[in-house]
Amino acid sequence: MISVLLPSTLRVSDSDHLEVHEDVHTIAELVEALDRKIPGLREQLDDSVFNFAVNDEMLLIHARERALNDGDVVEVIPTISGG
Amino acid sequence: MRLATLCPRLEPCRVYHPQLMNIRDRVSALVAELPREPQFPTQGATLFVDLERQQISRGYTPMRVVKSLLAGRGANMFYLHRLLDETLEPLHPDIPLIFGSGVLTGIVPSAARGNATSWSPESGVLMDSNAGDYFPSFIRMNGIDHIVLFGRAAAWTLLRIRQGEVEFLDGSAYLGLDNIDLRERIPQDFGGTWNRDLAMVNVTRAGENQVLCSAIMGGPKACYARGGPGAKMGSLKVKAIVVQGQTRDFETAQPYKGYNRTIAQKLLDTSVVKHALKTMGTPFLYKPSRLLGAMGTKNNQETTWTDKLDAENITPYRPGMSGCFRCPVNCRPLNEMNQDAADKYGRGDGPEYVTLGKFGPNVGIDRIESVIRLNNICNDLGLDTASTGSTIAWALELFQRGIIDTTHTGGFELKWGDADLIERLLFMISRREGFGNVLADTTRAVEKGHYPPPALKYRMAVKGLMQSDPHDARILKAFALGLAVATRGMDHLRNRVTLEINARINDDPAFKQRLYGAPVSAAPNSYDTKERAVRVCENMYAVGDSVGMCRFTTKLFNSPSLPGLEEFAAQIQNVTGISYAIDELDRVGHNVMGLERMINARLGVTRSHDTLPDRWFDEPVTFGSYKGEKIDRGEFDAMLSRFYEVSNLTPDGVPVDAWRQELQQVIG
Repeated sequence: MISVLLPSTLRVSDSDHLEVHEDVHTIAELVEALDRKIPGLREQLDDSVFNFAVNDEMLLIHARERALNDGDVVEVIPTISGG
Repeated sequence: MRLATLCPRLEPCRVYHPQLMNIRDRVSALVAELPREPQFPTQGATLFVDLERQQISRGYTPMRVVKSLLAGRGANMFYLHRLLDETLEPLHPDIPLIFGSGVLTGIVPSAARGNATSWSPESGVLMDSNAGDYFPSFIRMNGIDHIVLFGRAAAWTLLRIRQGEVEFLDGSAYLGLDNIDLRERIPQDFGGTWNRDLAMVNVTRAGENQVLCSAIMGGPKACYARGGPGAKMGSLKVKAIVVQGQTRDFETAQPYKGYNRTIAQKLLDTSVVKHALKTMGTPFLYKPSRLLGAMGTKNNQETTWTDKLDAENITPYRPGMSGCFRCPVNCRPLNEMNQDAADKYGRGDGPEYVTLGKFGPNVGIDRIESVIRLNNICNDLGLDTASTGSTIAWALELFQRGIIDTTHTGGFELKWGDADLIERLLFMISRREGFGNVLADTTRAVEKGHYPPPALKYRMAVKGLMQSDPHDARILKAFALGLAVATRGMDHLRNRVTLEINARINDDPAFKQRLYGAPVSAAPNSYDTKERAVRVCENMYAVGDSVGMCRFTTKLFNSPSLPGLEEFAAQIQNVTGISYAIDELDRVGHNVMGLERMINARLGVTRSHDTLPDRWFDEPVTFGSYKGEKIDRGEFDAMLSRFYEVSNLTPDGVPVDAWRQELQQVIG
């Protein structure tokens, strides 16, 4: 099981927490699984504003190929710059 | 007649500086060259305001300057270059303070910005600070593009602008008022309503006292912050410039409102606006920075901090969002911690990410309520939160290391995270009282004899300016290069290749190549090819500042799909009738940077100043997946050389001779 945290703007319910019980091995596979749960989410996540963090590790490169293990927590984090 | 001497600082430059003339002679000579009428539809006048003699002269920026530098920041550099006497000091009344609005300011959605330009009393190099809110648009409504202030007023003065005319009013009644009280008082005395028919820039007590980290306030929070603009305006004895007048539409060369709607829709459709800027604003960035291990903490001794300052923890205190003139984004978070009218700092504007970082991790504070309160106090006292927070963090580390002690601090025991003490210090800074007088000299504390020389090793500054943002750039090498080469000092808003932090872009080499016009390494921590991305961003942002567009809504800063050169060129054509090819507009941004480097060279800036704080070369990051990263001196120097090469700069960091001559033709 992979736990997924979505930002408020992508949430489909009051909860920011989703659980994916499908057998997924990478972020790319996780996105496909999420799209099956929430149709259209794949397209929304295909956007430079969203980064992924796995167990609090920010992924800046090779994100979709990042391997996942059972129990991982994946967070979708909008990333902007500040002033 | 212009008397001229050959520039002694930049041989073999052919710049003739009228150093034997005073500012009035220089202004007279310049005004005599300026057109007397607008050169294109919507162009406003440049007002030269002699504060000592209470006289005004005016002209219009010549077309050759507009074609090469546009307005706003770009034309401000033309005026500064022509009027600067580098044999003086920054706070000398003959050194002008120049306000300029962009060529599209007040006309295009999200183009609400203007720049304040001078010789920085804080850093000693170029001062060029950008702000939005309503003032830059309102002066354009009055037919004014630039205001050049010079000469010290005999007594504290308030300038009022109505129907394009300037009145000199007695400002003494407003002396000693900080931002909140002054903004309450002005509508009572002058009539009108903020943002509808009234706008203002002003200094606070900090500016009156020439505190080097004092801002010129442009709204409840918006300010010209960087480099000590408040000190400069205060030194001229100008308390405020009040602008009155109804908003209006402009008579443009061609219809422009249709394309305005296209731009507005583009803004609102951009995911970064929908998912971050419109909802929580810039504090969103705190979390990715701390997870990455790039959050400047305790004066960058550490690089991560508590999740208690994540943006969602501000949400309970955020009653809504606010924004600048005719901007559909409204990215500015408001705050309200209580409704107690007696608590002046229980509500306000902000905090932005910079303030969150500088008054959170950087000084060891982990309570969001403390950060919000300090933010509100800084907004009232008119302090640049970047320089002020960094200055306090520097002092805290010096005390921690025993480089300074209670004999330096007036008896204060400095401790990380002591919000009550920091609050007290902010008021002392604004009044230059006790240890506050030391902190008020910010990066110059060693030069002024407050701290011993070993303190410089821990000063997180470049070219005399503390770092603008809290991001520790030891990991992302493009960020590091940008901070090193920024013309106003250590500041991310001049050229940050922000999209380096987005995996979606790093993982698409073809897309990244299209963004930057050449291949750029996907690895965030690689030095390879990052100079190209910095060059492209620096050009884009200089154009953005010169048209008046907000950085947050300019392409490449927060998103690859926000308005950029193509949209700017189209709307400049519609509004002004001036045609720019995309590469010509890119060249304008390059010209602005080149002229800024020529000004800095006159102020003594050399290649050796395009560098980074020692800490980033010497101490590796100790947290996160990039643990061990630091800046390699050899790699950095090679990257800097490549940056100069792609920027058409000499090995000393100034425009090559042919380009310098071209610029000289433009600026005269």
